Amino acid sequence: MVRPNPADLELFRRGILARLTMVDAGYGPATILVGVEFEARLGEVSLVTGPAAAGKTTFMHLLRLALPIHAGRAVILGEDVARASPKIRALVKRRIGYVAENPVFIEHWTAFENIAMPLQLAGKRSTDYGEDVRELVEFVGLGEAADLAIGKLSGAERRRAAIARALAGKPDLILADDPTAGMSPTDGRRIVRLLAEMRRVNAGVVIASQDETLADCAPLNHWRMDRGHLSLVSEEAEHADLEAYE
Amino acid sequence: MKRAGAGVERALFWALALAAFAAAAAGLLWRAVDREATKYDVGRSAYAIVRVIAPEGPEGVSQAAAVLRSAPHVDSAAPMTAGRAAALLGLGDTADVPALRLIEIELAFAPPGADVAGDIIAALAQGGVTAEVVGAPSDSGSASIAGRIRRLAFWGAVGFGLIMALVISFSARGLAGRRREMVTVMTDLGATSAQAAGRVADEAAMLGLFAGAAGCALAGALGMVAILLATPEASLEALPRLIRPLDVSPLAAVPLGAAIAAGIGARTAALSFHERAAKLG
Repeated sequence: MVRPNPADLELFRRGILARLTMVDAGYGPATILVGVEFEARLGEVSLVTGPAAAGKTTFMHLLRLALPIHAGRAVILGEDVARASPKIRALVKRRIGYVAENPVFIEHWTAFENIAMPLQLAGKRSTDYGEDVRELVEFVGLGEAADLAIGKLSGAERRRAAIARALAGKPDLILADDPTAGMSPTDGRRIVRLLAEMRRVNAGVVIASQDETLADCAPLNHWRMDRGHLSLVSEEAEHADLEAYE
Repeated sequence: MKRAGAGVERALFWALALAAFAAAAAGLLWRAVDREATKYDVGRSAYAIVRVIAPEGPEGVSQAAAVLRSAPHVDSAAPMTAGRAAALLGLGDTADVPALRLIEIELAFAPPGADVAGDIIAALAQGGVTAEVVGAPSDSGSASIAGRIRRLAFWGAVGFGLIMALVISFSARGLAGRRREMVTVMTDLGATSAQAAGRVADEAAMLGLFAGAAGCALAGALGMVAILLATPEASLEALPRLIRPLDVSPLAAVPLGAAIAAGIGARTAALSFHERAAKLG
């Protein structure tokens, strides 16, 4: 087994959840992301915007360790992605909450059971996590729908369930790929604020969206992705107060 | 936990049960053939012919038969009639059969090492009869045929059982295919390959176990009906006495085998799904 690099662990201890240095990545031999430089810190929200097919989803796959890197160095949650064994990658994934553009669920399970899945994987018993999951269900506004089979939920409810599932394991890093797709602007902004709230509970948040206007709904670092190239547009104002954006 | 698509899983359950039924039936058939062959062997080894040398004539045969009835190792003794000899030789007419000085004897169980032929000849000599004991007709040949049939039945059942295990294993891959979304979700949430594949394999193994039990129950019931119909002395009360523990061994082994085969098939498929889900690139 490859031993973790102390310097990489130190990065994590200093609150740097992800650091990408000149990273090229893509599917198979095709390179989609080119020379990506990125950093996500604890307690910060990063918004990555860009047009369709700019590489935002690929970038999210890279951050959730689903893509191999072709060049450069990616350290995520203290682990060098290129050197990590499959088991280490799986363990790192457990510390990442991911809300996919089209969330995949176990369709014949209830929303509640799907949301509790990360806790089951962590070896917790239903008697231990039942109350926490119920709180999470209320937090994302899923309510009674949580007891229905996930296949019976609307698109917006499925997205809320996906957010709840991503938060269930109390992850260090939360990734949300186009979480506002198909929602009204008001609902979309509410979802982004809800995700941004997670920085208060010792997590970093990365949101990818086509909607540039989301940049002003919470204090965040705004990045732009264009044809696989990532650039920083604006940094979060120091000591920014979330309430000011309400 | 709700089970959507239960209809498909029910169909899969019965497909596995059918394969298990076929395997169990093959196992029971092996037991039936083995028992019949054993019975044949025992019948052969418990049978012998005594040829009377002196005194000559029908009186000698009668005298020898009388001595044999109280001789050691002998259960019963009957002079061979011309009709019986013609039947054994496949002759249609008893006119072709010469006068015989043969006596058919049924032997009792002899302890290992006993000189059965020597003891009988000695008893006959004490009764004033000179004779020789001839083994059962074509004894070694028929015994080897029975042995071959037993081996053939055993390996045939094993081979058929393995084919059914493959059928169950491939069917269980279908179940894993239906659980692909679960494997994908688990992989996304950080499940290791062992966790994801283990969960699917456990479910498939349980399905295989229950389907195997159902198939075996069906095969067992049909087996009992077959025994009742084919064995004149069989009755519901006599069945426990007629059936030996070894006879039900296929019924015990098949559910376990079905569970293992289903588990392996589902696990293999789930591992490949996990591998694909873990790495998109």
